[in-house]
Amino acid sequence: MSKILAITGAGAMSQAMRQINPDVVPAFPITPSTQVVEDFSQFVADGLVDTEFITVESEHSAMSACIGASIAGGRVMTATSSAGMALMWEMLYVASSMRQPVVLTLINRAMSAPINIHADHSDSMGARDAGWIQLYSESNQEAYDNLIMAPRIAEASDVRLPIMICLDGFIISHCVQTMQMEDDDKVREFIGEFKPAYSLLDTENPVSWGALDLQDYYIEHKRAQHMAMQNAKESIKLVSEEFYQCFGRKYELFESYCLDDAERVIIAINSIAGEIKEVVDDLRNKGEKVGLLKIRSFRPFPYEEIAESLKSAKIVTVLDRSESMGAYGPLFTEIRTALFDVPDRPMVYNRMFGLGGRELFMSDIQNIFEESNRYLENGKVEKVFDYLNVRGG
Amino acid sequence: MNDKYKLKDWQELPIGGVVPEGGNSADYETGTWRTNRPLWYEENCIQCLTCWVFCPEGAILLKDGTKPNGQPRKEIKEINLFHCKGCGLCAKECPVNIKGNKIAIELVKEEI
Repeated sequence: MSKILAITGAGAMSQAMRQINPDVVPAFPITPSTQVVEDFSQFVADGLVDTEFITVESEHSAMSACIGASIAGGRVMTATSSAGMALMWEMLYVASSMRQPVVLTLINRAMSAPINIHADHSDSMGARDAGWIQLYSESNQEAYDNLIMAPRIAEASDVRLPIMICLDGFIISHCVQTMQMEDDDKVREFIGEFKPAYSLLDTENPVSWGALDLQDYYIEHKRAQHMAMQNAKESIKLVSEEFYQCFGRKYELFESYCLDDAERVIIAINSIAGEIKEVVDDLRNKGEKVGLLKIRSFRPFPYEEIAESLKSAKIVTVLDRSESMGAYGPLFTEIRTALFDVPDRPMVYNRMFGLGGRELFMSDIQNIFEESNRYLENGKVEKVFDYLNVRGG
Repeated sequence: MNDKYKLKDWQELPIGGVVPEGGNSADYETGTWRTNRPLWYEENCIQCLTCWVFCPEGAILLKDGTKPNGQPRKEIKEINLFHCKGCGLCAKECPVNIKGNKIAIELVKEEI
């Protein structure tokens, strides 16, 4: 039965995995994603799922086993964070290029060094070109809902790409929030059965996977992969709409919060959106035209849709929680690209925050809106790029 | 080249680089890799089929034949140059060559 319960983000992800009941879960534990597979291994031990649970010797092996099991025709899931995903790196590309709809829970954590276990997006943003669909989640509920939708989005016949559901380490993964957990049967009905395009175990129709592909074909395969990622946008919309019909929670490619008439907008990803919404509400009560655009789908990136929704905006602050040394933040470069063709485009600038889990408080967000107001009045952005909350300025 | 191996557009490709059928490596011309070409001298060959055993490409083709005493046996038909990479294992392992009085298989430089 559908119920409201208090649960951590990682716990919510393992519950979603239990409900999805994947055929194979190869996993290797790493903070802060450990609880996802720890809880799930308990479900396996208790006989609550039919899953083949493989305790592999590394994340490289975990993703390799995911790919093998997926090629064999199974529905496959795993979870990781930070250095764990870095060790999967080679196989991330293999999964997407071999078009296997592997589902990964990525609990965002800073990349070493210095070693740090807290939230930033340097792990997933580094993998933005690996050919995975990336959905981001503000809360336990969103992470849970995204994971329920993930297999359907990834397995669409014109998509067939792996998908990672991202949520912030500790802030979401280890904090208890209340959320609506849906009925097991209803979730299983929504997910349906996985029908692989080709199965390695289908001995009646033998196939070869992983053949060499040189100058004569490699680029055609990449072109097809690019198209699949374009198609993923439609798949996300369709599955989200069906999810809304089934469970009543509505999701778009991104969330527009008080955007319709907003002049000053913050664009952000993941848990920080919660604090920004509080500040937007406060300032709206004072009559200020502020708003938030929260990214859900970073890959594929909804350029046109974002440009359309920022029509009334006069100034946009893009918050990045991962560095691209020597360049602007990864979200900022996408947003500025999206805005380039907009007539009367808004001013746009970039702020780096929260690396390694550094807090950003509501007062900091108020400061951002005050700064953007000042820029707007002066008609000029003084600093296109800067750090927030860093000692020494 | 077989028509089914005509270079395809990206829209026509099977998903993810899968090869959606078995046994098609026979259609792949590895003979173009060859720098040395094997020549087989039937008159010196003792039909021991050692070359057939060692050939990594299955390029030694057989046919039905008869022994001098009339019993059936397999005999060498020809060397398939579509697959032969010219590795020379056949000539190296040939017992006629090893004995040294005669040559049953030898490798000569491909003329360009």
